[in-house]
Amino acid sequence: MSETQSNIFNKIENDYKDYGFRAKELAKEGKKLIGHVCSFVPLEIITAAGCLPFRVRGDIHEPITKGDALLETIVCPYYRSVFDLSVKGKYDFLSGLVIPHGCDSMVRSYSAWSYSLPYSYFHFLNIPTVCVESSFEFFNAELNTFRRSLEKFVGRTITDHDLVQAIRIYNETRDRVRALYNLRKIDPPLLSGKELTMALTVGSSLPVDEFNALLDQVLAEVDRRGQSHLKKGPRILIDGACIDNIELINLVEELGGHVVADTICNGARDYFPRTDEGGNPIEALGRRYLDKVNCPKTYRENKTGTFEGDIASRFGDIGTYAKEFKVNGAILYVYKYCDPFGFEVPARKAYYQSINVPLLHLEDVYSAGTMGQLRTRIQAFLEMIG
Amino acid sequence: MAFVLGIDIGSAASKGILLNDQGMQASYECPSGGDFKLTAERIKKELLSQTQKSEKEISRTVATGYGSTLVAFADEVKPDMVCHGKGVSSLLPSVRTVIDVGDLYTKVLHIDGHGSMHNFLLSGKCAGGSGRILQVIAKVLHVKVEEIGELSLKSKKRIDFSTGCAVFAESEAISRLSQEVTKEDLLAGLHRALAAQINSLVERIGVEQDVAMVGGGARDVGLVQALKEVRNQDILVPPNPHMTAALGAALIAMEGLKDKIET
Repeated sequence: MSETQSNIFNKIENDYKDYGFRAKELAKEGKKLIGHVCSFVPLEIITAAGCLPFRVRGDIHEPITKGDALLETIVCPYYRSVFDLSVKGKYDFLSGLVIPHGCDSMVRSYSAWSYSLPYSYFHFLNIPTVCVESSFEFFNAELNTFRRSLEKFVGRTITDHDLVQAIRIYNETRDRVRALYNLRKIDPPLLSGKELTMALTVGSSLPVDEFNALLDQVLAEVDRRGQSHLKKGPRILIDGACIDNIELINLVEELGGHVVADTICNGARDYFPRTDEGGNPIEALGRRYLDKVNCPKTYRENKTGTFEGDIASRFGDIGTYAKEFKVNGAILYVYKYCDPFGFEVPARKAYYQSINVPLLHLEDVYSAGTMGQLRTRIQAFLEMIG
Repeated sequence: MAFVLGIDIGSAASKGILLNDQGMQASYECPSGGDFKLTAERIKKELLSQTQKSEKEISRTVATGYGSTLVAFADEVKPDMVCHGKGVSSLLPSVRTVIDVGDLYTKVLHIDGHGSMHNFLLSGKCAGGSGRILQVIAKVLHVKVEEIGELSLKSKKRIDFSTGCAVFAESEAISRLSQEVTKEDLLAGLHRALAAQINSLVERIGVEQDVAMVGGGARDVGLVQALKEVRNQDILVPPNPHMTAALGAALIAMEGLKDKIET
């Protein structure tokens, strides 16, 4: 038993490399797998339908070949890579795919996905761009439409009780992830950014109960460490969208820094907000996904009337993390052609300046070929703040 | 007497400086070539033979530059911008903004009075705005890269060169030559276009006076002049501006030595 525990990080690394290994097994057993991208797909509804949500990933080591014949290169390279792998058959074990209105690339290319891929179920989830009272009314109706479309696909009703159960178990995941993040508040952190992000990435391919069990094993393993095996170094926050390949975080840590906090989709953006329990489950999911997920794709009204007030309310979570995790510097990592993040770069820079956190802004193309260029910049940045 | 070595393996050229507490004792530069390890060994050997010293007399080596991690005998590796800051500050203490025009990138950094860097910005991922374009054009014109600065200053009617991209510049240069544009006017136009691109990088990070220009690009008097004109401000250029990272590396090695003795 103890041997399997100490090997938990090896297991995670293997599952990370052979992404979807467990999902494929379950598909063979007859489980229906529903692929998704982005933080805006309510996984609770998919799980409540008896299906397995599966986050489709890209691969920075795989050149985009087939995908570019069907999607123009104005689409961001991350999304093109995910699409390219999909049309090359990597995710053919999926039964369906849900794409939300997470950005223009997702909306505009939805039809390309739906006619290029062999899955039997497709659903486009319309997420309001603004976050006011009428948005919630609309979004709740949209969530019920999604619920009914899944019911039709699986041939059974999704009861409120099913949803309540799913909400509870997903909140349990989030509590465990929070506990893991808290272990990085210590200096040096008790587990590395690479270990944590890899575990979360693997988790997004597993049934939620198996993911919770995996997180328990990780927590137990780190607990057994007692003290950190890492050397002290600059504590870094990674700010960005979905960074589902570990190379960037690995590079920071190879160069002596520690990734202790983030805002990324397969990190804090996905796992920090909990869903309220006790009320109407659809309304609670509506609040959680529309309001609590802080993504630049959502326009939030400037209620303060000043620029300073605006950035403080939009990016306040960054300031909270910076304090909580005692961050020495931040890396804003943006994919080329990522419009939601791209538009926000100047405002984000101004915010970092206002909270006195040194910032390195990197624009990248989702390719392993740029690691040398990133190394030059990150090395100089760590040296500067170190 | 303790000697230290600073070695800068750049993407195009490699440089080395041997230092003791009396100052610089020897310097050497050569093309980086395809084998950075061999180049580093060659520089060390050359510096030792210039000073008739033995390897044992080098107390500390700091490596920097693109190939720095391949310098097997280095005690420490430092980012090149950090080294440029130290090197420039030792030569020109009033400088607060350093523009390094290298082969692969142009870098702008802010330093304090001790040469410590506190902000920086690099040019984009392609060779646009870097020194590589100067070598490309020298080849097209069949002149030595060392000569293009002087040639450019002789221009009587500078052309408008539309690109700062090293790849497109080559085809634009060839098409301009077919329109009977002189080498001098073409080079002046190219320098102006490159200077404008460098300046936009400088403006993005902002300027603290004084400003110095270093790197291989700063040896090109035509480019320096063009940047002065674009900015309408003076720019300081230290002697041997391509050596400042190697010098900074040597100075950091010297500091490391002192720390060691003190502790």
